[in-house]
Amino acid sequence: MAGVSRLQYTNEIRLIRVMCTGKVDLSYIFRAFSNGMDGVFVGACRLGECNYITHGNYSALKNVLIAKQILEHMGIEPERVTIKFMNSSDGQKFVEYVNKFTETIRRLGPLGEKRGKNLDKKFEAAQRIVPYVRLVERERLRTDLKTEEDHIKYFQREDTKRLIRELIVDRLIMSEIVGLLREKILSTNQIADEVGLGSSEVAKYVNYLSRQGLITYQEPVRGYTLVQ
Amino acid sequence: MEGVSGEVGDFKVTLLKKARYIREDKCTGCTTCVEYCPVMVPDPFNQEIGKSKAVHIYFSQAIPLITYIDQSCLYLKEKKCGICETVCENDAIDFRQKDQLDQINVGAIILAPGFEPYDPRVVTEYKYGIFGNVVTSMDFERLLSSTGPYEGEIRRPSDQRHPHKIAWVQCVGSRRVTPGNNSYCSAVCCTYTQKQVILTKDHDSSAECTVFHNDIRSYGKDFERFYERAKNLSGIRFIRSYVTISREDPVTKNVFIRYATPNGVVEEDFDLVVLSVGLNPPKYSKELAQKLGIELEEHGFSKTEPFNLIQTSRPGVFVSGTFQGPTDIPESVFTASGAVSQTGQLLKHRKGKLATERVYPEEKEVAKEEPKVGVFVCHCGANIGRVVNVPEVVEYASKLPHVVHAQEQLFSCSTDSAKQITDVIKEKGLNRVIVAACTPRTHEPTFRDSLREAGLNQYFFEFANIREHCSWVHSMEKEEATKKAKDLVRMSWARAVRLEPLGEYELQVNKTALVVGGGVAGMTTALSLAKQGHEVYLVEREKELGGIVRRLHYTLEGLDVQGFLRDLIKEVYAHPLVHVITNARILNATGYVGNFVTRVQSDGFVKEIKHGATILATGATEYRPKEYLYGQDPRVMTNLELEERLAKGDESLKDLNTVVMIQCVGSRNEERNYCSRICCSQSIKNALKLKELRPDVDIYILFRDIRTYGFREDYYRLASDKGIRFIRYEPQSPPLVGVTDEGTLRVTVEDEILGNQLEIDTDLLSLAVAVVAPEGVEETALKFNATVGLDNFYKEAHVKLRPVDFGTDGVFVCGSAHYPKHIQEVINQAYGAAGRAMTLLSKETVTASGAVALVDQNACISCGACITVCNYGAISFEETPKGKKARVNPVLCKGDGLCTTKCPTGAVQLQHFKDGQIMAQLDAAKGETDILAELDRAVGE
Amino acid sequence: MAKVIELRQLHRLVTGKKYGDVMVLGGGISGIQASLDLANQGFKVYLVERAPSIGGHMAQLDKTFPTNECST
Repeated sequence: MAGVSRLQYTNEIRLIRVMCTGKVDLSYIFRAFSNGMDGVFVGACRLGECNYITHGNYSALKNVLIAKQILEHMGIEPERVTIKFMNSSDGQKFVEYVNKFTETIRRLGPLGEKRGKNLDKKFEAAQRIVPYVRLVERERLRTDLKTEEDHIKYFQREDTKRLIRELIVDRLIMSEIVGLLREKILSTNQIADEVGLGSSEVAKYVNYLSRQGLITYQEPVRGYTLVQ
Repeated sequence: MEGVSGEVGDFKVTLLKKARYIREDKCTGCTTCVEYCPVMVPDPFNQEIGKSKAVHIYFSQAIPLITYIDQSCLYLKEKKCGICETVCENDAIDFRQKDQLDQINVGAIILAPGFEPYDPRVVTEYKYGIFGNVVTSMDFERLLSSTGPYEGEIRRPSDQRHPHKIAWVQCVGSRRVTPGNNSYCSAVCCTYTQKQVILTKDHDSSAECTVFHNDIRSYGKDFERFYERAKNLSGIRFIRSYVTISREDPVTKNVFIRYATPNGVVEEDFDLVVLSVGLNPPKYSKELAQKLGIELEEHGFSKTEPFNLIQTSRPGVFVSGTFQGPTDIPESVFTASGAVSQTGQLLKHRKGKLATERVYPEEKEVAKEEPKVGVFVCHCGANIGRVVNVPEVVEYASKLPHVVHAQEQLFSCSTDSAKQITDVIKEKGLNRVIVAACTPRTHEPTFRDSLREAGLNQYFFEFANIREHCSWVHSMEKEEATKKAKDLVRMSWARAVRLEPLGEYELQVNKTALVVGGGVAGMTTALSLAKQGHEVYLVEREKELGGIVRRLHYTLEGLDVQGFLRDLIKEVYAHPLVHVITNARILNATGYVGNFVTRVQSDGFVKEIKHGATILATGATEYRPKEYLYGQDPRVMTNLELEERLAKGDESLKDLNTVVMIQCVGSRNEERNYCSRICCSQSIKNALKLKELRPDVDIYILFRDIRTYGFREDYYRLASDKGIRFIRYEPQSPPLVGVTDEGTLRVTVEDEILGNQLEIDTDLLSLAVAVVAPEGVEETALKFNATVGLDNFYKEAHVKLRPVDFGTDGVFVCGSAHYPKHIQEVINQAYGAAGRAMTLLSKETVTASGAVALVDQNACISCGACITVCNYGAISFEETPKGKKARVNPVLCKGDGLCTTKCPTGAVQLQHFKDGQIMAQLDAAKGETDILAELDRAVGE
Repeated sequence: MAKVIELRQLHRLVTGKKYGDVMVLGGGISGIQASLDLANQGFKVYLVERAPSIGGHMAQLDKTFPTNECST
């Protein structure tokens, strides 16, 4: 309706059509970021008014809230991804949301400038763990909440955050480490440097990965490699 | 419509087609003419609040989305101007057009002329048109709307300020017997006002809203909760009082309202007053009735048969919607389907012989070919062309890899251009087509058709929206818009090269129907389907047909219910296509739309029924009250029990001196937060009967709100006139019922008007008990994949637009199983369900889209995540040589794709929206510099 | 049973005649629904409307109760 009503809005947005926001997958969000997008906007039907009886917009909302926490752990402003709910006739609202969102993004600045040297790798790692996140979401983050506020509250709860930290973020960091080691041999300190964490913390992950038999320490080169 | 002659099956209708002065086949809705038109006129669609031009599109979502020229046009008036003719690049303006008389021959006529909002100007007391800041609710709808005169901002007429303190006055034009008003209740105003209050608070959360009302009539499904939602917002007052719109402040133009409070009459001013106007019969109903040769009832709506509100007084002429009497949207929708079903009963022999089928050339096998992309960029007259540099976009597109053809078109959607696309596909052997134009919502079918005409699978078509998503919304930034248009074309290109051909699924439809529930709803549906030539199995739990209606004897209007029921049951048994199974239990039900299998057990035998459609009409039952000494004192009974005694001619009823009736027993409370809809009318009906038996009997009806909506209001008035006393009580202080030491049945209630406790010693107490869903509803629902709402009534697919469908295709609902209803409403809805079922049963096959989910069973790990989230039940496990694997039934899949985001291995993919296709589009959204590196990757994969 | 006989007579009357097309008068929500259902069953439909566009009063409404869903 924004189009039909000829409401003017920012030209900095590119729309991709999906039949239902339930189709908006975490991997799309991370892919967009790794493609150099500075923000991701998900436009959904109002909660409870899904065009389909599957109510996929709840799923989209959860994905966005999970993505926000993952971004936060990457050191990226969680405001860079957002979901807004509207009717197909809410052209005015769409414009308002999109303009406000671009303003936010403009204030945050291009993601590129903040990109540490390994931000791309982090996004790649994030894309790799999406299947795993789906499992976590299914097994541990099931909810039967009805409103956006309740969802936000749920994701701000300490136990939820801890769950995400333990089940998703840890996995993300390990995925990133594996990704780094796929390219070259690195010592714990070097890994710490690359992923931007303290070496004691990295040691924890490295030990875990070694115990799982995924990586191994190569004495001669004083660094870790992937187990082939 | 000028006139009708002939008779059912052979009507000759004369139509006058008004000149539009626009060639419909040429106009593309680009609105260049509107821009240049110098004549400003009040916009009728916006209640004349906003301005429009003499040439304009009726409203932004109009169908057809083309302009028309009205009589304010300078050329039409004085032969001056004609600017539009010059600016139209499409030669669509045609001032030589004349009104045209047409004659058509039809077998049946369905009347759906709707209503006319009450015009408060006919009575000066409402001050509409006198005080600037008094508007009607229809005006207010336009103010609220984002397509309205102020683009969704609420502004008041006098100074365009945002009103902060708003009052609604209910029953404007309704429930009044004074001249210029209507005696009936308009049925929708209470709830639409609550809606407007909620939306006003959405616009301005600090707004102060006051509703001056009489009874609040929240009698529809989920209305009671809606009323509470409105009432509980902050800054909202619901005040029960008649009002006088007294004066206008000469300076602020605020409007003063006088109303009654317990402490006397007060006057208060408001920024804006909204008149909640009622529903009048359509403006031209008398003229219409005359031309059609149908009769009108006393209020000016269509006269109908007593037990069939769809049948007018003339055979072959049916009526749906508000011309039956004031109704809301869902009823307008299902009476439409009902009218269709009755039309089908008359004309079934002609069905399906009138539509002609298109024949397309055979599809070529191109999936393995190298992509050959054609790009067509549309100017859309000036709509795109004036902002986006179209030649530049064409030039850009032509350089993208695999693009073998790129061109511009003035209007891609015009018949010539669409044909041109077909020709180019054939000539250049294109196997992917991109049209960069407008929204897929309107023209995707057009261009898919162009592909099919050229023997190309329709799923090889891709739309880039450079109008709604670009030229229209960036109209001041030509350069940026052109750049964006290129991006959008590139994104479409990335997707297009990855598109795959898809087949559509066809499956046979079994022509038999299963109707569950043998009450009036089920029987009516079954008969209507049978009369259209379909075999119907009607299964009933009890040993007799009739359901709860067996306990009803007369209606408020005095109709003989049992006589009607007897005839209906006889007709059902007599019809050779209706197979009745009583004492039935549904053992299980499997299958899907067009192909269900249900096993029914009755008296020791089990019957397996194969059917294409299912209609659930399982009815409702009476609440068994625990309150008010029911079951403890024989003088206390339910309304139905009283009705049975009245019908039996119980002599003792003639000796009653006093009767008390208590409304809302078991309804509108925490446990059952809904209005049972029929009990107010039932009590009044019984009260009137008692008055007939003994005119001097004292009757007290203790109520919360009397909900005699529609024409039933007249009987409420009659009851008052006959001296029946209506005493209102608040839910927090309900009536008390006790037996005195002397054995007198005593009802104590607070009399609001007199302000004291009223003790009534009564001979009989009748309870208006709630209508509740019968036991086992959830079980039945589960078997048929139907859904049940909060109050255990079936939940339809869409409250407004699909009121008798379930989300599950091929399953329908009608009658009190959906929500409590009066018998005529049940019949209306039963015909509606039949009409909807016929849209399925009349087809040989149903076609399902190819854009559905598919499982790669090699990658499936049998976790069931997809199955859990699919509310359509489209995915299930099947046994394969590799074990249990998920499989999508493409006929049930609606293509929303939720399952694909839950599958941990990516085994399930939504066709036409595969991850690879969407990712390619995402990748292509990058800046231009990066793109070339991605090209080969995209194509190579 | 009077009704049945009447319908049968009507039916005979109808089968003898050649017109199976239907006119729907009024292009509001009810008329649109009727036309769609008829067309879906293979009837040819004439939808007759006074205004320049179909949609009726519902198109003028902002939202609809009780879900406050958009009307258009």
